[in-house]
Amino acid sequence: MKTTAEVVIVGGGIIGCSTAYYLAKMGVDVIVLEGSDHIGNGGSSRNGGGVRQSGRDVRELPLVMYGIRNLWPTLSEELEVDCEYHQDGNLRLGKTEKHRDILTKLADSARGAGLDVRMIDGDEVRAINPYLSDEVICASWCPTDGHANPLTTTLGFYKMARRLGVTFISGECVKELRVIKGKIRQVITPNNTYEGESVLVAAGLDSREILTSVGIDIPMTKSLLECLVTEAQPHMFDQMLGTAEADFYGHQTKHGSFVFGGSSGLERYNKDNGTPVSSSKTAPCICRGIIKYFPDLAKAKIVRTWAGWMDASSDGVPSLGKVDEIPGLYVACAFNGHGFGIAPAVGEQLAKLIVTGKTDVDLSELHYDRYKAKI
Amino acid sequence: MKRYDLVIVGAGPSGLSAAIEAAKKGMKVVVFDENEKPGGQLFKQIHKFFGSKEHRAKIRGFVIGQQLLEEAGEAGVEVVLNATVIGLYQDKEVVVRKGDRVEHYKGNAVIIATGAAENMVTFPGWTLPGVIGAGAAQTMMNIHGVLPGKRVLMLGSGNVGLVVSFQLEQCGCEVAAIVDAAPRVGGYGVHAAKVARTGVPFYLSHTVVEAEGEDHVTGVTIAEIDSNFQFIPGTEKHFDVDTICVAVGLSPMSQLLKMAGCKMEDDPKRGGQVPICDPYGRTSLPGVFAAGDVAGIEEASSAMIEGRMAGIVAAEYLGYIDEEELKSELASLDEALNGLRQGMFAPQNRGKAIEKTEEGIDISESLLKNGYVADDEIEKYPGVTHKTGIHPVIECTQNIPCNPCQDACKKGCISIGSKITSLPIVVDDSECINCGMCVASCSGQAIFLVDESCQDGTATVTLPYEFLPLPEAGTKGKGLGRDGKVVCDAEVVSVKSMKAFDKTNLLTIRVPREYAMKARFFKVV
Amino acid sequence: MNSVNDRSRDIGPFVPGPDDDMLICRCEEITKGEIRKAVHDGMWTLTEIRRYLRTGMGLCQGQTCSRLVKGIVAKELGISPSELEPAASRVPMRPIEMEVFANEAPDEKEGE
Repeated sequence: MKTTAEVVIVGGGIIGCSTAYYLAKMGVDVIVLEGSDHIGNGGSSRNGGGVRQSGRDVRELPLVMYGIRNLWPTLSEELEVDCEYHQDGNLRLGKTEKHRDILTKLADSARGAGLDVRMIDGDEVRAINPYLSDEVICASWCPTDGHANPLTTTLGFYKMARRLGVTFISGECVKELRVIKGKIRQVITPNNTYEGESVLVAAGLDSREILTSVGIDIPMTKSLLECLVTEAQPHMFDQMLGTAEADFYGHQTKHGSFVFGGSSGLERYNKDNGTPVSSSKTAPCICRGIIKYFPDLAKAKIVRTWAGWMDASSDGVPSLGKVDEIPGLYVACAFNGHGFGIAPAVGEQLAKLIVTGKTDVDLSELHYDRYKAKI
Repeated sequence: MKRYDLVIVGAGPSGLSAAIEAAKKGMKVVVFDENEKPGGQLFKQIHKFFGSKEHRAKIRGFVIGQQLLEEAGEAGVEVVLNATVIGLYQDKEVVVRKGDRVEHYKGNAVIIATGAAENMVTFPGWTLPGVIGAGAAQTMMNIHGVLPGKRVLMLGSGNVGLVVSFQLEQCGCEVAAIVDAAPRVGGYGVHAAKVARTGVPFYLSHTVVEAEGEDHVTGVTIAEIDSNFQFIPGTEKHFDVDTICVAVGLSPMSQLLKMAGCKMEDDPKRGGQVPICDPYGRTSLPGVFAAGDVAGIEEASSAMIEGRMAGIVAAEYLGYIDEEELKSELASLDEALNGLRQGMFAPQNRGKAIEKTEEGIDISESLLKNGYVADDEIEKYPGVTHKTGIHPVIECTQNIPCNPCQDACKKGCISIGSKITSLPIVVDDSECINCGMCVASCSGQAIFLVDESCQDGTATVTLPYEFLPLPEAGTKGKGLGRDGKVVCDAEVVSVKSMKAFDKTNLLTIRVPREYAMKARFFKVV
Repeated sequence: MNSVNDRSRDIGPFVPGPDDDMLICRCEEITKGEIRKAVHDGMWTLTEIRRYLRTGMGLCQGQTCSRLVKGIVAKELGISPSELEPAASRVPMRPIEMEVFANEAPDEKEGE
C-alpha cells in the first residue's frame, strides 16, 4: 500500500476530496486518509445543501463568490456526476421587525462586499415563492445563491480524484503528525506511518486533536445539527431558503424531496452516544417551524432524519491556509456548518496555495492564528 | 415523561410472551404494535403448531395468539395497537406515533421484539404487480380475506413457502408449482408431503428465469440451474400464472436497536443484521433487550420462549426477582428452547445435508427432491406398519421436535419416547379404536388410519382433510397418491368433524385393497 | 469496523452484464448496472452507494433492496456480503407526516 506522496491530506470530506482533486489535476501525487469507513462521512454528507453567499461573514464572502462565479456552474460536467446545482436565489425569511433588522444588517454588509443582495417585502417574497405563508413579512433576496446535492458533489470529487490517481484510504484514523527536521513530514495512524512533503489537515472537529500533536490549537466546539428529508413531492420551488433566526433552512431537491435542517435551541448541549444521533426533540420542532412557513407541506411525509456535528469557531468562520510556523502544514477546518457551498473554492485555492504558494482570493482574514483575547 | 418499567415494541409471539412474564413478576408493562391487530404473524398462522405441550403444539397459530392476548390481559399488560414506534432514542426513550400525534415514553427497560421482514429475489419482471411476498399473500388471505391470485407459482420450499402454498390451495387458488434454487426441499417433509399429495409439482434446483406480463404477471418461466447457479439451456418450463409468491427467507427488522446504538453484527445464520446479544436477549446497551426473530430468525414457538426469557431477564435487571429466581426460571426455559432446537432442522444443522435419521434410516431422497416419500420408500419408517384391522400409519420420516400424536392416542398405540425428535412408532399389540385423534393431532397431517382387510377386497383410508366444501359420504372421486397423481377410484365412506379435531376433518375413503398404502388424498373428479 | 480500506485496490474493470437494466431499488428506481458502475467509481461501502445513488433512501428505507444491493456490491468487490456493514438506520421507522411529527402529545405524568 502506498504510504508516501507529495501531499498527504487528513480527512476525506468534501474539503479533502476537492483539494485532492484540484491537486491531482495539477499533477500532484496525493494520499487522502479518511478516519471513518466512508468517504464524506461528516458534515459533507449531513448538511442541507446550501450554495449561498448571502448571510455569510464578509471575511469568507470573497471565497464563496469566487466559487459561485468560477466553479459551481460547470462542476457537474467536470465531475461527471449530477451535482444538482441550482442557482435560483436564496430567500432569507423574516417574520418580525427584529428579523428585519437582522436581515437588513446582513444584507448591507454583504452589499458592501460586492454581493447583489437586497431586502424585499412579504408580497415580493410570495411573488418569488407563492407557497410561503402570510407570516413572512420580509426577506433578504440574493438571486445568485442556490443549492446543490452534497452527497453527489462530495462523492463526485472523490470519484474524479481517484480516477486521476489519488490514493484514498478509509479506516485510517490519524492520531499524530510529526515534524522532522523543522518541516512537517509524518502522518501517523494506529496502522501505518504516511509521509508527505506537505500535509493538509481537513478533518473537521477532529482537526483540533490532530493538530495538538504539533502544538497548534484551533479553538472549536461541537454542536449537533439535525436535518430531515421528506418523500418526493411535486415540484414546488427552486430557491434555497433560510430564516433570520436560523430556525430552519432547506430546499426542494431535484428528486422532489425536501431537505430541511433546523434547530431546537438545545444543539450545543445535546449529548450523543459516540456517533451523531438525532435527539427526540429536534425533528418535531423543525416540522413545527416548517409548517408555519409552508402550510402546504403539513402532509408531506418525513422518511429520514439525521444529525451531524458542526465544528464551530468563536467567530463563525473557518481556519484556512498555511501554518506559517510549521513549513509544509496547511489547515482547513471550523467551517461552522456552512462549508459545503464554499468547498470547491476552498479545494481549488488550497491546491494552488500548496503548489504555487499563492491564491487568487485573499485568505489572510481566515488565518489560523487570528484568535485574540478581547482586551 | 411517561415511564414504564418495561416498554416492549412488537406484540407478536415474543413481545407478548415477554410482557406476560414481566407483568407476572409485578412490572408495569406496555406493548406497542403498529398493527391494527395484535399477535404479529400468529394471526396469519392457521395451521397447527409443532412441538410438545409446553410449546403449545397442535394448537393453531391464531389460537395461540388469542391465548397470549388473554394471558397478557389477565397479567395487566397494556397492549397499545395502531401505535408505530418511530424511534428508539438515547436514554431508552421510545417515540410512538398514535393517530395524528407522537408520544414520548421512557422505559426502565426496553424489549425490542419487532420480528422480521421478507427477503426478495430479483429476476426480470420481479417488480411487476403479481410478484408478492409469501407473507403478503398470507396477510391478504388470512387477515383481509382477499384472494392473492388465481394461479400461483411459489418460489421457495422452506416452511413458509410450503405452509403458504397449502393455505393458497385451501382458499381456492391453484398452486402451479413450488420452485426452489436449492437442490433439496428446505422445510419440513410433512409440510411438503401434504402439498405434494394434492397434486402440486416441486421443481428443486430450479429458479425463475423471467416473470412475464406488461402491467401485471401473466406467466412465468423457470429453468433448472447447475451447481454454479447458472441456467441449463433447454430446461425451461412455462406456467400460466397471475401470481408469483416469493418465500426466500426473512431478515430481522433490527433497525430500532441499531439506531439506539446497540452493537450489531452480520450473521447469515441468524438471517442478517442482528444485535450482539447473549442467549437471553441482553444487548450491548444495559436495559435494552431483543427477543424473537429480531435477534435471529427462527419460528414462533422459539420466539415465544425467547420472549419469556427476555421478560424474566428484564425483571431481574429491574430488581423484581433475584438472581436465584432468574437462574431457576431460565434453566427451565433453556430446556424448553433446547427441546425445540433439536432434530434435522435445528439451527445448528442449518445448511447441512442430513442423510440418515437418528434411527439410522435413510432420509427419503424423493421427499427432498419431489416433496413426497416414494411408495417404495415409505415402509422403511417405523410409523408405517401393517396390521389386521384398523391401525394408524404414521408417515413421519424426519426427526423434528414434535410429539402430540403420542398423547393423542389414549390407547397407547403411538410412541415417541422421551426424545422428542424420535420418529413415532406404532406400538405392537396395541388396539386402535378408530377414534381419529391421532390424525387430527398431527400438525404435519402425516397420520392416516388404514384398514387393509375389509371383507370385499377393499381398504379404507382415513385422512386429514382441511378443504372446503367437505365432500359428503357417498361422493365418488379419485384417490391420489403421495405424488398427487390419480391412483385409483375412491368413494367417501364417512366424514367426521368433531370439536376435538379442531377443524381438521377426517375423511374416510374406500379404495381397492392394493391402494391402501398408496392413496393419500381424495379428489372429486 | 474501521478497517483500513485502500480504495486503489484493483477490482478489475467494469464488465457490462446482461441484467444491468434490472431494477434493484424500486423506490428510487436504481438498476443493477448503476450499482455495479458506482462500485467501479469507488463507492465501496453500502453507505457510499446509498449516498451516491439514493438506493434505500426512498419510502421503504431499504427494507427490500438493502440485502440485494449488498450482494451486488460484495460480488463486484470480490468479498463476502457479511464484510459489508449495512448503512445506518434512522428515525422514523415508518414515514410520518410532518404535521403528525410536529404534534407532540403533552407530557403525561405517572398515574394519569
